[in-house]
Amino acid sequence: MDIVRANDVSRIFPMPAGPVAALRRVSLTIGSGEHVAITGPSGCGKSTLLHLLGAVDAPTDGAIVFEGRDLASLSEPERARLRLTRIGFVFQRFFLLPMLTAAENIELPQAEAGAAPAARRSRTRELLAYVGLTERADHLPSQLSGGEMQRAAIARALANRPALLLADEPTGELDEATSGTIADLFDRVNADGTAILVVTHNPSLASRASRRLAMRSGQLVA
Amino acid sequence: MSALHLAWRTIRRYRAQTLLAIAGVAVIGALLFDMLLLSRGLLLSFADLLARAGYDVRIVGGGGMTLRMPIPDSRAIAEAVGGLPEVEKVALVRILPARLARPGEAQSASVALVGASGMTAGVWTIVQGADLDGASTEACPLIVGRSLAARLHIAPGDAVRVNAEQAGVASALPAVTCRVAGVGRFAFAAAGDDIVATTLDALHRASGEARDGDADLILVASRPEAGSAAAVAAIQRARPGLAAYSNDEVLEQFNRNGFAYFRQISLVLSSLTMVFAFLLVATLLTVSVNQRLGEIAALRAIGIARRRVAAMLLWESALLVGAGGLLALPLGELLALGLDRILRQMPALPEQLHFFVFEPRALVIHAAVLVVTALAAAAYPVWVTARMPIAATLRREIVG
Repeated sequence: MDIVRANDVSRIFPMPAGPVAALRRVSLTIGSGEHVAITGPSGCGKSTLLHLLGAVDAPTDGAIVFEGRDLASLSEPERARLRLTRIGFVFQRFFLLPMLTAAENIELPQAEAGAAPAARRSRTRELLAYVGLTERADHLPSQLSGGEMQRAAIARALANRPALLLADEPTGELDEATSGTIADLFDRVNADGTAILVVTHNPSLASRASRRLAMRSGQLVA
Repeated sequence: MSALHLAWRTIRRYRAQTLLAIAGVAVIGALLFDMLLLSRGLLLSFADLLARAGYDVRIVGGGGMTLRMPIPDSRAIAEAVGGLPEVEKVALVRILPARLARPGEAQSASVALVGASGMTAGVWTIVQGADLDGASTEACPLIVGRSLAARLHIAPGDAVRVNAEQAGVASALPAVTCRVAGVGRFAFAAAGDDIVATTLDALHRASGEARDGDADLILVASRPEAGSAAAVAAIQRARPGLAAYSNDEVLEQFNRNGFAYFRQISLVLSSLTMVFAFLLVATLLTVSVNQRLGEIAALRAIGIARRRVAAMLLWESALLVGAGGLLALPLGELLALGLDRILRQMPALPEQLHFFVFEPRALVIHAAVLVVTALAAAAYPVWVTARMPIAATLRREIVG
């Protein structure tokens, strides 16, 4: 079953020097439980495609259909709800809230989704154990290493049991050994049934995907 | 995990910024609070002085409230007014310049001699000895102003010589010997004023005036069930052309003329302080939001609703302004005490008149103004986050 489908999408950014086409007529489908990696040079449109598929940006042309719903037909609150409940985001720079502990960061999207406090705490404990951060639950992000922060961010992305995990250069700020740990974690998440789209420069991370795609100048080439 | 909780954790995280913001709002809020106290302080203080005398209607001579002129036929007027059903009691007040000296001493002091019929508790406060009614057997009991008593070393029980004058003309009459019943503070006395009060009969004896001589002021207390407006109307019906004013009318007149400057100054300054508070909090919040654009864009990306992010920023603003506003109250009170002490040194002002007077209304306006400031200060940062393009912001944050 398809989770998300991009139909002939283009994304053109208006710039002072003239419009820049970041994506040109790209089509892509990600099915349930798939593990897809997109590689390519900087500025080729990988992140733009990820943002379109994750409903944080809208295409200039074409359509994105998520679980059968055209994203263009959704209001901003509906798109926010979709991102909250069906999509998990992992960023290169983690973007954990610095004033919240690891556990609280994982609880935040659950609270937003309306989960009861007891259910939130239980799910948070489960996710902390899942990513190996049980002992670090009450630590602030500033007290965690880069790898630990990224694991906490992955746990946050999984908090509301999304159908699709979108990861934008998730090992971009990590050393090779830590990147390997994160890659292992993605494998496990995918094996547990969550579809993953990872955008990366890291060949080792990309090699873990069941489907590897390459982008050049705003188009998928393989 | 409410927006308030997130805001609280955020301001705790950025402690230095938070302390600066709260200190700034506290100082600005203290100024705002003082301006609110000043805007009606004189009016409230003056109203309190008027009310303290226990009379709520004043009958004055032809010069109106500001120029004191004797009221012809005062005794008859007082009797007629005292008989009105709306009136509870009447007092006559006569004020003459006089000289006062200790027996056997050549040196004398110029004083204002106040003669009052009936009780005038409230016009002065006894700080030592007894009031006039406690010395009713005396032919000429005196209440002497505190500073005068200290300067001439006069104490209750002492005898003094009083020589009243008529309209600044030295009297040929011999001085009258009076006995000091008490030392008091006169509500309407300025810092340098030397005032001595006695009964109206004693004043007449000292001045040689006829017992039914003119009074400068007739004080009237209305019956509580009638009220001052009804008493004024009844007096004017009984004696058309008599200049009778209720305390409210006196206040209104002073409010329009004498106190308008302070109201205008306080309005201008409080508006300015509000603008300063707005600029301070808006700047700090905007800087704070700009520092956290990546975080906020990520929050939006993971599905945190726009309204929750907006609510978080509103709470941050409310917490900063609220904490600063609360600290502003004791700070403003201290500042008001200091400023009041300075302003009260102005010449010819009643010693007990205050410029800064607390009233609950000031507190309500202070709170309302701060709420508006907090909302206005958060408006721009909220707008920035609400309109933020999530993808572009994330991209900028990563590239940056």
